[in-house]
Amino acid sequence: MESIIEVNNLAKMYQNKQALNNLSFQVKKGEIFGFLGPSGSGKTTTVKILTSQLRYTSGRVTVLGAAPDRGRKANFLGRIGVLTDNSGLYDRLSVYDNLALFCRLYGVPESSLGGLLDTVNLSADRNTLVQQLSKGMKQRVTLVRAILHRPEILFLDEPTSALDPVNVLQIHETLRQLNRDGTTIFLTTHNMQEAEALCGRVAFLNNGEISALDTPLQLRLQHGDKTITVTTPKGPEIVGQDAAGANRINELIRSGALLAIHSNEPTLGDIFVKLTGRGLE
Amino acid sequence: MTFSLNRLLAIAGKEWKDSVRNPQILLMAGMPIVFSILMKGQLSEGNAIDRFTVPVMIAIAVVGAFVQALMISEEKEKNTLRALMLSPASPVEVLLGKSAMTTVYTIAVMVVCMLITGIPAINIGYLIIYILFLLVIFMALGTSIGLISRTASETSIVGLPILLFFVFGPIFAPGLKVSFVMDVIGFIPSYHFMEGLSAVVHDEGREQIWLSLGNLLVWMVLSTLLVLFIYRGKRFDK
Repeated sequence: MESIIEVNNLAKMYQNKQALNNLSFQVKKGEIFGFLGPSGSGKTTTVKILTSQLRYTSGRVTVLGAAPDRGRKANFLGRIGVLTDNSGLYDRLSVYDNLALFCRLYGVPESSLGGLLDTVNLSADRNTLVQQLSKGMKQRVTLVRAILHRPEILFLDEPTSALDPVNVLQIHETLRQLNRDGTTIFLTTHNMQEAEALCGRVAFLNNGEISALDTPLQLRLQHGDKTITVTTPKGPEIVGQDAAGANRINELIRSGALLAIHSNEPTLGDIFVKLTGRGLE
Repeated sequence: MTFSLNRLLAIAGKEWKDSVRNPQILLMAGMPIVFSILMKGQLSEGNAIDRFTVPVMIAIAVVGAFVQALMISEEKEKNTLRALMLSPASPVEVLLGKSAMTTVYTIAVMVVCMLITGIPAINIGYLIIYILFLLVIFMALGTSIGLISRTASETSIVGLPILLFFVFGPIFAPGLKVSFVMDVIGFIPSYHFMEGLSAVVHDEGREQIWLSLGNLLVWMVLSTLLVLFIYRGKRFDK
């Protein structure tokens, strides 16, 4: 599959601090790529470099076929969407006026807003001033602003931080639909559930370096301890994924004592801790 | 990068809708008018050109520069300027779009001030040129102040000393009788605005008029370049 983002040996220095060190990865067209790491690991720095907001110290970065910082602003920015957790809105304007401004900046008909507002359940609030919205509603407005021009790549930097579960589910569903419609999504988060729910592949970023990169399933299989937990009336019991374990499970099924069975794959958070020695928060 | 009038008008339209709901901007726009009413009697005792130029300079400084600075610093504070910078709108479109609304406000306030204080017998062509030049300079200074300030409240700290010096320097500095201060004042655009219009009214010859217009032109070019330089610098994080 064609790569839409290519990063080779990327490094970024802030004065004497190394923010990114020898970062290399590729994002394929049409995938949802997750960048997982704790606060300060370099996620936002990476997004800013990829979206032409920040210059890098060394390495090679290609987004949509060219470097993101070489005088290609209008054309480049018209093909990407960016959503961060502190994306600002005009408080004194209505939801509709905020979005209509960006329709005109991107050359998109305002008539498309109706459907997008429906998608994020904000149709009833189209004439509400932004200053009267909750944080979750504001985040949905900024999401619509980021996608109203149907970007080829959508960069999301902690898009659901501090949102309640209902809003999170709503935003996730919108993102999945957008991805099905062809938008590549680059998602940075420290929320492993979010990454597991959305991403086809994830990279673990720690202290500016990638410590693992694969599909969530492969990472879990690689780092799992190959055991199964069976629950019987006497309580949980761990058996191995081998002939003895199979016999034990068979026995429990025959005797009707098997209440539940779960494979013991680690979560992405567990794997991150195992690989880096630190948590994702 | 192609210039888009539609994008410029979109930003100008947004500024208009936003400003009419912003009590701070409406208050600032009203201040020069109140000043003109309060000072009308006192300024009448001065010469006709001072009576005219002082309220005009205050309108340009308060509305053209300070309101512009407030609007831009508020955009920075609320992270909306970054959203504009990440859209296809070019720096010129963003800055002209934002300046369009301020220009309309400033001209409207100036006209009201002029109606209150009266307009001296003057060549209207020169008058328009001088006012437009000074307006562009102050709006560029206001834009720079707004871009440098981190918050709307910081605009006062950064901008007020500069704007007060530019407006009141030529009025009060001669009374100080300090040659160094007068040398500095001799370079600033508001001084040349007053000197130029005085030369036009009193028919002091074209040399003085061209000298002051030349000074304003240089300030206009430099202040515009300063804005573009700062804006481009702010487009990228450090």
